[in-house]
Amino acid sequence: MLIYYLIFCLEDKLKKLIEIEGLTKSFDDTLVLKSIDLYIRENEFITLLGPSGCGKTTLLRILAGFESKDSGIVKFDGNIIDDMPPHERPINTVFQKYALFPHLDVFNNIAFGLKLKKIPKDEIEKAVKDALKLVKLEGFESRNIKTLSGGQQQRVAIARAVVNKPRLLLLDEPLAALDLKLRQDMQYELKEMQRALGITFVFVTHDQEEALTMSDTVVVMNEGEILQIGTPQDIYNEPKNRFIASFIGESNIIPGIMLKDYLVKFEGYEFECVDKGFKKDAEIEVVLRPEDIELKPANGGINGVVTDIIFKGVHYEIIVDVNGREYIIHSTDPQLVGNKVSLSFDKEDIHVMLR
Amino acid sequence: MKSLRRLIYPYIAWLTVLIIIPFLFIVLATISTFHIFNSYTFRFTFDSLRFLTDPIFLNAFKNSIKFAGITTLICLTVGYPVAYFFANMKSKNKTLYVALLIVPIWSNMIVRIIAWENVFKPVSILNLFNLSFDMIGSDIAIIIAMVSMYLPFMIFPIYAVLDKMDHGYIEASRDLGANAFQSFYKVTLPLSLGGIVSGIIMTLLPAMTAFALPERIGGGTTILLGNLIEKEIFRGSFSIAATVSFVVMVVMLSLFMLIVRFDKEGETLL
Repeated sequence: MLIYYLIFCLEDKLKKLIEIEGLTKSFDDTLVLKSIDLYIRENEFITLLGPSGCGKTTLLRILAGFESKDSGIVKFDGNIIDDMPPHERPINTVFQKYALFPHLDVFNNIAFGLKLKKIPKDEIEKAVKDALKLVKLEGFESRNIKTLSGGQQQRVAIARAVVNKPRLLLLDEPLAALDLKLRQDMQYELKEMQRALGITFVFVTHDQEEALTMSDTVVVMNEGEILQIGTPQDIYNEPKNRFIASFIGESNIIPGIMLKDYLVKFEGYEFECVDKGFKKDAEIEVVLRPEDIELKPANGGINGVVTDIIFKGVHYEIIVDVNGREYIIHSTDPQLVGNKVSLSFDKEDIHVMLR
Repeated sequence: MKSLRRLIYPYIAWLTVLIIIPFLFIVLATISTFHIFNSYTFRFTFDSLRFLTDPIFLNAFKNSIKFAGITTLICLTVGYPVAYFFANMKSKNKTLYVALLIVPIWSNMIVRIIAWENVFKPVSILNLFNLSFDMIGSDIAIIIAMVSMYLPFMIFPIYAVLDKMDHGYIEASRDLGANAFQSFYKVTLPLSLGGIVSGIIMTLLPAMTAFALPERIGGGTTILLGNLIEKEIFRGSFSIAATVSFVVMVVMLSLFMLIVRFDKEGETLL
């Protein structure tokens, strides 16, 4: 009995809220989405990450109902929602420019959706109050939108969306306009909010740090295609290709050859590694994250010369020249320019991907 | 910047000679027995204010309000959809189409008034098409002519606001559960209120003080405030003409205060 109950819970947790199959969209002969396949689970914080123009916002707008698709299937809760106009979808959006109504005060902005649903007045008042509490703007009810700071407007925009208790909340680069400190605070708060509300979040951003910090699942997109779907750890540690490796964080990408399972050769040396399943002598690329490389006094191994060192606050960014190839290394220990050093790393830190 | 300030002097001179000094004369004439050709009888008096209760004045005032009011209402009902249509137009030639709306204003108003006068006369070019109207002096004729005169002044301020309006507001309201109609009257309409108020003022004021139009199309029988002022001046009653002008000015200024209240950034005034 208990087992059945656990399976039931698990099933419920893994329920697919959104299913997208073969979704394509083009604007004036330009293909912006090329056959997208993606599903979004209930209660998931999923981030669409990619450079501007990669189609992530278009995908979001199709989910919200503001754009129509060219072909493919978009299912919400198992039902195709192509013909459902935006106002009937149990989906709300936090817009990039917030789009708060300038003719309404904070209360009426947040109450906008509830009033349309003809909810009793006292319930609306309570819901708005709760929403303001959630975004830490208690007592702001009668404030004019124009008198709010960017961060406060951002919070009102979030409150205005979540107060409707949508099944799915879409966030279109909502933190882009905020300064760094505020942005970092909001990242944590959004994550907290998502846990507390139990609403599925689809977050669009071009900021890899934001994506890694907040998401359960990251979807990396480029030029209208999904390149990789995975947890932040997967995406960071096991990037599928060069684009992802260089887009997500800094990395050293070195060409090499996969001699056999668990043995890779680059920079003229053979290294043990944890990767397998490549063809024998396959041409590959090795990703070494800057923080995974340790500098030791020159000995056997890969030797180089320190050419530059920049203080970055938490760490030093050290550039090492190895036979003409530049390596970026993050270390808390400084080095002198001109030092002869040797690069050292663990076998788990070597990540191999196809060239 | 300071040297540039001198460039405003010609305007100040123009303002003083053509507006401020005449205005002071109007004020003076309102509160005295002022007469250009007769300074011997000059004395301060409020006698002319009594004219404001005269049936002649009340009738002209009522006519002005009536015709200007009806014209404005029609212009608003006809003009708003037009402005909305052009503002939401996707065409690349949008600016050209909108400019076409201005074309009527390019021809002289008197010429257009005389054109309408001819249309409403029994004997006109319309006889060629077996049409003949005898409408000179009728309310309908005056209103038709007024609407055609002032419609562009209603369309433009509204168009300006709607055209600049961020489409994001509409999307936000749709996202929050408003259908197209709710979106319009809960977001678009309130956000274009500034343009509506500007349009109303730009139509109402000139319509209220219209002079040539009721003169020609009203056939001299329908008297508006503008016609009353003219008549009184030709009778030599400067004080009474000045008093009526003063009333018109007060009405205009109060309406202008209204526009400023609604439209603090002045973004809708052309």
